[in-house]
Amino acid sequence: MANVREIRTAAQADQEDVFFGQTVILWARWSVIVAGIVLVLWTSTTISHLTQTVPFFLALMAMNFFLHGRYVMGSPLNRAVVAVASLIDLVLITAIVVLWPGSHGLNNQFFVLYFPVVFAFALVFTRRIEATYTVMAMVAYAGACFLAGTVPLDLGNEDKVLVMRLIVIAAMGFLGNYYFRIQRDRLSRASGVVSPAAGLARTPIQATLHGTGS
Amino acid sequence: MTMDTKQHLVSPDGKWYWDGVAQTWAPVVVPSHGSHAPVRDQGNRPHSPPSAKTATKGLSSFVGNVRSEDLVFGQTVLVWGRWILIGTGLVLSFWTPRDLLTLQVQLAAIVALAFGNFYLHVQLLRGQAAVDKVVYAASLADICVVTALVLVQGGYGSPVFIFYFAAVVGISVAFPTVLTAGYTLLVIGIYGVVCLATAASGDYPAVFTRLLMIGAIAVCGNLFARNESHRRAEAIRIHQELLDETEQGSPTPQNA
Repeated sequence: MANVREIRTAAQADQEDVFFGQTVILWARWSVIVAGIVLVLWTSTTISHLTQTVPFFLALMAMNFFLHGRYVMGSPLNRAVVAVASLIDLVLITAIVVLWPGSHGLNNQFFVLYFPVVFAFALVFTRRIEATYTVMAMVAYAGACFLAGTVPLDLGNEDKVLVMRLIVIAAMGFLGNYYFRIQRDRLSRASGVVSPAAGLARTPIQATLHGTGS
Repeated sequence: MTMDTKQHLVSPDGKWYWDGVAQTWAPVVVPSHGSHAPVRDQGNRPHSPPSAKTATKGLSSFVGNVRSEDLVFGQTVLVWGRWILIGTGLVLSFWTPRDLLTLQVQLAAIVALAFGNFYLHVQLLRGQAAVDKVVYAASLADICVVTALVLVQGGYGSPVFIFYFAAVVGISVAFPTVLTAGYTLLVIGIYGVVCLATAASGDYPAVFTRLLMIGAIAVCGNLFARNESHRRAEAIRIHQELLDETEQGSPTPQNA
């Protein structure tokens, strides 16, 4: 059993995570695009409204076409570009929450667009980057609600609803990244590479399943 | 070929094994008792503990699909997602409660869910996988509890519908694709009907968005789980090939 070499380095594993995980982000973005375009077409009451809102989604669609095309061609973009594209998602969704005609801030019902975006991001990036992104999403949404003046700081029902939504955004990030780390640990073990940083394997269930439990 | 002693020579799809004498791949003869699928994804462990073997009984799917062992790993996500639901629900129940009946229903549902989740969490801590059907039933209970809270709070206007997302996240990464699709369609169907019955026509775009995003979460989670399963299968294949090469190159056998 000697001389069994490592199949992949940590850097290669990171690149693979971005490659394989990128498809999740792409599909999450497609869902946001579809939702946005349907909503724009559905709720527009004037030509100016339609012409002012559709370009945002068309731009996002063009970006996702490019990213998806690169992925299909087997040459996905690096993690910096993927992260920037995900930040653009956050900006766009926050803009929808703040600027959507008729309902702003907390009253805007399109905050659910944050959920798949944050979840998909958490499935791809390491904990620190994911945590940063999730906090940015929470701050962006909370800021949008306060900016729109829809959340009075009186610990009333609006604050309760805002806290509830922020908790679920955080849960999307936490659960997604927790699963990501479990899978990464499993992959490293399947490759015959036992990472000393594989902290998740310390839990009894995982130790048992990996044959090291008592 | 003796499957018990040469499992590491079997291809990831379980249909071929490496005949070291003839230096060729040969088809695996499937025993009649149906245990032809070698235990995959075990890296460098030659013998599975009883609990791991038990965990693979519930579903017969194999590497490349989400299967029973994946359910065990995904179960931790389910359990933590449910604790988030329970903790948040408890805190928010006491925050400006609407009326006594609503509070009673909320607390009863949350406490029942907490007991169930405690059982599942204890199973995890003891290193024992829960029975598949119990896990499936628990996820169904999640959906029922959230639906009950939504109904008590007026349907479309209830803010607690967002807990559907936490439930679907766990389901999507833990369950096989067919079950994930089934549960997600159930959520979309139930919540869609509730919303159509309680929302004004002007709110339908918001209803559409909510339902679409629930579906999107399920697709993303399950897609990732499947991708990871394929990656593991490939990693195992490469690893086993290296082991085979090492064993063939060694002058004396390392493992009896």
